Amino acid sequence: MTKRRMFLRMITASLLRRRSRMLIALLSIGIGATILAGMVTIYYDVPRQMRAQMRSYGANMLLMPDDGETLDREKLARVLTRFSGEALVGAAPYRYVRLDMTSRQQSFTTAGTDFSQVIKTSPYFSVEGGYPEKGREVLVGKEIAETIGVKVGSDMELTWQPTATATGGDAASDRVPGATLTGSAEGWSGGAVSVTAVLDDTAKIKELTIDASTQTAEFGGRTQTEPEFAEQFIGKSLPLELGKDVDALSGATVTSTAVVEALNGARQATAASKPNTVRYTVTGILTTGGEEEGYIFMSLEDMEALTGEDRLDVTELSVSAEEDQLNAYAEAITGSGEGVKARLVKRVTKSETAVLGKLQALVFLVTVVVLLLTMICVSTTMMAVVSERRREIGLRKALGASDGSIRVEFLGEGVFLGILGGVLGAILGFVFAQVVSVNVFGSSITFQPLLLPVTVLVSVAIAAVSCLMPIKRAVAIDPAIVLKGE
Amino acid sequence: MLFRMIRGVLFHQKGKMLLIAVTIALGASLATGMLNVVLGVEEKVNKELKNYGANITVKPKDASLLSDIYDVGEGEALNAAYLREDELGKLKTIFWAFNIVDFTPFLDTRAALKDGSEVQVVGTWFNHHLALPTGEELDAGVAGMRSWWEITDGRWLNEADPNANNEIMVGTALAEEKRWTVGEKIALTGTHGEMDAEIVGIFDAGGDEDSQVFATLDAVQALTDREGKVASIEVSALTTPDNDLARRAARNPAALTSRDYETWYCTAYVSAICYQIQEVITGSVASAVRQVAESEGTILDKTKLLMILITALSLIGSALGISNLVTASVMERAQEIGLLKAIGAKDRSITGVVMAEILITALVGFAVGYFMGFGFAQLIGHSVFGSAIDMDTRVIPIVAGLIALVTIAGSLPAIRMVLRLRPAEVLHGGH
Repeated sequence: MTKRRMFLRMITASLLRRRSRMLIALLSIGIGATILAGMVTIYYDVPRQMRAQMRSYGANMLLMPDDGETLDREKLARVLTRFSGEALVGAAPYRYVRLDMTSRQQSFTTAGTDFSQVIKTSPYFSVEGGYPEKGREVLVGKEIAETIGVKVGSDMELTWQPTATATGGDAASDRVPGATLTGSAEGWSGGAVSVTAVLDDTAKIKELTIDASTQTAEFGGRTQTEPEFAEQFIGKSLPLELGKDVDALSGATVTSTAVVEALNGARQATAASKPNTVRYTVTGILTTGGEEEGYIFMSLEDMEALTGEDRLDVTELSVSAEEDQLNAYAEAITGSGEGVKARLVKRVTKSETAVLGKLQALVFLVTVVVLLLTMICVSTTMMAVVSERRREIGLRKALGASDGSIRVEFLGEGVFLGILGGVLGAILGFVFAQVVSVNVFGSSITFQPLLLPVTVLVSVAIAAVSCLMPIKRAVAIDPAIVLKGE
Repeated sequence: MLFRMIRGVLFHQKGKMLLIAVTIALGASLATGMLNVVLGVEEKVNKELKNYGANITVKPKDASLLSDIYDVGEGEALNAAYLREDELGKLKTIFWAFNIVDFTPFLDTRAALKDGSEVQVVGTWFNHHLALPTGEELDAGVAGMRSWWEITDGRWLNEADPNANNEIMVGTALAEEKRWTVGEKIALTGTHGEMDAEIVGIFDAGGDEDSQVFATLDAVQALTDREGKVASIEVSALTTPDNDLARRAARNPAALTSRDYETWYCTAYVSAICYQIQEVITGSVASAVRQVAESEGTILDKTKLLMILITALSLIGSALGISNLVTASVMERAQEIGLLKAIGAKDRSITGVVMAEILITALVGFAVGYFMGFGFAQLIGHSVFGSAIDMDTRVIPIVAGLIALVTIAGSLPAIRMVLRLRPAEVLHGGH
């Protein structure tokens, strides 16, 4: 029998024969490793999870157009691509206008926004009733609702007074839903292309007539003669973009462009030229305890239909990132040359940094204390298990085993237990961290592969150190005394 | 005889018993420390969340919409309603007075500058010293409620200065626009008076306040001839996260049953505190700032739950650790127990002796561990929150019970098992 096989046999035999004792040692290391893996995972995950929770305080960054610039939805979408992956929790665009309520001779600040984003950026909004879902629905702040006495389900008429008069365009009628729009634009070689569109209740195109008689019959003229071209406009809302919302007719690109331009021009001109009155249904009453209670909210589409402009005053962003990262984002956006400036909402960012810092320090200290105490606990148990075997050590020594070989054997046992307990603990610890994450934050965490070797290494180290100390003492003593049991 | 045996073990096998005592002390200190932290963490985190500013605003009953909705310039409002400055101290007399951390009144106006332009001037308390009828003294004001303000130049306005009513603080945006610097004197003309103000500080608030001028409440009252009047009050209060009862009560306290009403009134729900503020401030409407109040509840609940789960893990860990070691130590003494049995000791008396030894060791370990754990809690409290964590007496029976339970659970089955073995076999040393 070779020396190595004998060594393995001694270790396995000892482990198997002394089952209960080894079980205790294994259990002890397992507990230590579980707490190590669990606590470390939680410690690394808590800031991320807590930061997500902190987003319930609402927007922490504002996007505004630079002086003399404008912000529209397209530009906003471009700016938003700068945020990486999950960082952007929500981006609620706002446009504020003052609308008159003719029946009461009062005017109210009205915000056009995207409600699906508002739910994300301002989770503290409390709505009695519901958020508007369809067109021509509004959400009314509690203060306004109380002053003018509207309830969920009541109707209100709001009027937009244009500040500038329109120039150009063949505007004839109101551009409100249900209206008929007419317009024209320059097509091929200067010939005018005229369009007449009838809008349905949701301001989508219901009917479209194109007059392209000035255009060459085999090319541009086909926009009038081939009904397929006009059909693709049906059900779409203005403004349209060629190549995105509708396709140009091949061989008639210039005329197709003219049709779209005529429609968009008609929309802009009609809307800008006249006061516009629309009747809205109140779907919800908003309570926030803040100034939002003095506003009326409607969808951006409704706001655009009412005022005929695609313009945003400010966009509230809720970004899940550290303060430094937020500053970096803000600088990048401001310096991007888009004509947009980003500002941090200090009240939220500063406070978040302060509170998160405290929470992280709390979890850190707790982790350190728990780990320290657990590890000492583990090594005391290991020491107890090993020192119990002093008689065995004495016997071996008496039989001629060298101190070195005894040390190696016991160390081997310790390392074996360390590996087994470490692997077990890493898995259990991850399960524990997962349970915590799901219960506390309602989201799962990803397994950190690095944690497995670290946990195993720490377990082996602790097992080895706590084995060596009692062995050293046992080996140092005269075998006769040990065997006598003194 | 029993005592002699126990004493013998305790003193002669010092090493082994010390190991058990140390382990139990560690387990007990872990349990004590974590339980103290978990019981105290809500209050501490709640205080930290005060960073976010006021969670309650108080406004006059009738005037809430005037300046916001009608665009009526402040000071010109025809029948503007105000709150009374002399009633502010009453905030500290409500049932939950202890939970009111800070508060500050506001009164704003527009004042003309020399060049003819207008600026918004906000009158408020900065660090206003209040001596309450109850004998309590406190400093209230924006200095405590705008923790996120960054003073980019100069200093906070100090109301204790004799010249405080002629001092102002200016937001960065306004200071930049007007090219104002600290130390500069500016003449402000209000509706009913003038003020020759010196800029003592420039702040960056990262919001609308950056384009405003902040002056003392007295100064703005004098500018607009509104002595003793305030337009709104912001209150920062420690609150309990809302539950179903609180939400029902917030809608209409009168609809509650008298028992529910009692429970609600005597719990620090934000709606209950609002209600109590309305009771003491004449003609006021107090409402919860949902952005702060609601989020506070979320964060508090999450933190508490997180700490409870971590505590549970460490409790389980220390329980298993202790019972494990106790089992190991009993098994280690199999020979001794076998010998006792061989010379005719009854199982019951052996169990009694061994248990007594272990329990006495555990008691010593617990006593040491309790104080160690309390020390850990204080270490965490001081280094994280900068204040002590209160000693919660509920922790003592919980930890004592836990230690007793795991010690017994760890030793009894082991003793039984050893006793079942035949003495000759045990003494022989083979298994």
